[in-house]
Amino acid sequence: MYTNSRTGWLLLSPTLLVLIIFGFLPFLYVLFVGFNEWNIFAAEEGLRFSGLDNYRRLVFDDDFTTSVQLTLKFATFAILSELVLGFILAQMLTRNFPGKSLFRIIHTFPLMVAPIAVGAIWRLLVIPGFGPAPFFLDRWFDLTYQIGSYPDQALWTSVIMDVWHWTPFVTLTMLAGLTAIPKEPVEQAKVDGANRFQVFWYVTLPFLRPVLLTTVFIRIMDAIRTVDEVWMLAGGGPGTRFTGIYIWRVVFPRTDYGYGSSISLITLYLTIVLCWLLFIAISGRRKGEVE
Amino acid sequence: MTTTFRQRVWRFVATYAFWIFMTLMTLVPIWWMFVVSMRSRVELFARPNLALSRFFIENYSNVLTDSTFQRYMTNSVVVSTSNALLVMALALLATYALSRYKLTGRDNIFFWLITNRMAPPAAFLLPLYIMFTRTFRIGDWTLYDTQIGLILLYCVFNLPFAIWLLKGVVDGIPIELDDAAMIDGAGLAGVLRHVIIPLAAPGLAVTGILSWVFAWNEYLFAANLTSVNARTITTGLAEFVTVTGTNWGELAAMSMITLIPSAVIVILAQRYIVMGLTFGAVKE
Amino acid sequence: MEEQKSENGKKEFDGFLPFYTNAFDRVFIAVVILIAVHLLWLRFMEPQTAAEIANRARPVELATLLSFLIGFFVVRYG
Repeated sequence: MYTNSRTGWLLLSPTLLVLIIFGFLPFLYVLFVGFNEWNIFAAEEGLRFSGLDNYRRLVFDDDFTTSVQLTLKFATFAILSELVLGFILAQMLTRNFPGKSLFRIIHTFPLMVAPIAVGAIWRLLVIPGFGPAPFFLDRWFDLTYQIGSYPDQALWTSVIMDVWHWTPFVTLTMLAGLTAIPKEPVEQAKVDGANRFQVFWYVTLPFLRPVLLTTVFIRIMDAIRTVDEVWMLAGGGPGTRFTGIYIWRVVFPRTDYGYGSSISLITLYLTIVLCWLLFIAISGRRKGEVE
Repeated sequence: MTTTFRQRVWRFVATYAFWIFMTLMTLVPIWWMFVVSMRSRVELFARPNLALSRFFIENYSNVLTDSTFQRYMTNSVVVSTSNALLVMALALLATYALSRYKLTGRDNIFFWLITNRMAPPAAFLLPLYIMFTRTFRIGDWTLYDTQIGLILLYCVFNLPFAIWLLKGVVDGIPIELDDAAMIDGAGLAGVLRHVIIPLAAPGLAVTGILSWVFAWNEYLFAANLTSVNARTITTGLAEFVTVTGTNWGELAAMSMITLIPSAVIVILAQRYIVMGLTFGAVKE
Repeated sequence: MEEQKSENGKKEFDGFLPFYTNAFDRVFIAVVILIAVHLLWLRFMEPQTAAEIANRARPVELATLLSFLIGFFVVRYG
């Protein structure tokens, strides 16, 4: 640890400069606008200070609370499935078998597709009268599948799409975590007569915990701000009105900037609180824990 | 542990069955996009059929010969490559500082950097738009609709991510190596060049690749902060949906084309991706 | 992070919160509480009927006062 902190700050300064200009200043602006009434199409132009009125409106806005619930539902289901699936895949990839790297490469593909293209692909799959998904579901299972008319189906489709897109990322981090686990404790546990589940629960999982939490952290952060994918898939229809999309609708078609800013801030607030708690868990600052 | 022949056969079959199933699940959407890109407008609205009927490359030739598309493609390549390089350089310096120097509030800086990535994009577009069109202007020149604007802006969400990735990698390099290099007379630049960069190479590679992919794939900012000159390929994709009454065949063809560069990079760099993605969470 | 904890032991504060915090963390927690209290106040405590609004019953300033008290407590003893 070098104590020459001036050099340290100097090394950090370009990063901080870029982030302050393009990240923090816009934040301050949004913070300011959040306390104002500002609608381009309103009778009086420009900003009008309105104190906490936007927030008064927000806490009683059912659309907003519904969107938060939907987002949390989406994030929870998507991330849980990704973790389970990603872990299984990573576990399978730690073994050696012919063709392993081919499978790994194919499995990494979805991660590289642009979110907007992912949305387009899935839309192509699910459009009624065009995509194969409604056609075959109807033919084989006699199921009416129409994301435009059934909000639940739209939500599940977006969850599946997210799982398709992001499981590879989880698999890769898990694989990196699994390969870094030292062999000895696992062997020792097996010698001591632990069964597979016990090895997983008492040896693998504790070693994997930091990787797991970091993955969850990054996935939560990105799942909450998902807009383009879902927008492309369902066009912001019912069932997929997540917070990001709700903000989009308030800001753009309705040009209600003041209110849009305050919703953004509260969303940001919720995300930060959630992630901060996770960060505390990652950095192991809980009391009474063996370091 | 002894395994009988039957157990081994069963295991072999199960492994491959599992992988083939997963591969199918992964590839079906991409395959469908490929099939759509190979169909004419009329064929598309026939009965859905997952099989490829014929090679119809008009969609591709239409897209590829379009000069607008070529410009978008060039912009995308320039923007994502410069952004990835810039992010790698800045993140390496920042990570080194966070890892080696005793700075006040180091942990806090580390966390608050990543909050930059959490902001919901829609509302933040407005201040950025104002900034791009009015604040940064020299005479007639503004940041709006320039490649440099996008390159710098993408740092906001790529840099924190890169620092998170690299932090663990740099932390894992023993500080004694730095000390040894310094005793041999190396300055800070020397340490970075001869100790940190070689040892952190896999991590740096992953950082670069992921930044590149994120920048290549970014849509919202590119769509709203550019108009003609600096448009990127993803915005071009979206234009098919809104402007031309959704020409699905060409949209699919264009999606396939945007996929290719990322896919090539992933295949080439496959090994590093796994090596570098530990987020330093694993300490030996 | 272990070495940092031992180096500046007095910065990592051992208060009533279930994890170690430094001053910045505690200010952050106080701000989080401030926002939460205000939002809850706007939702559940602010007057909704005309009569109460005329009386200025339970104004939002009370929420500010309350959160500053809690905030002070967290920053000082957290």
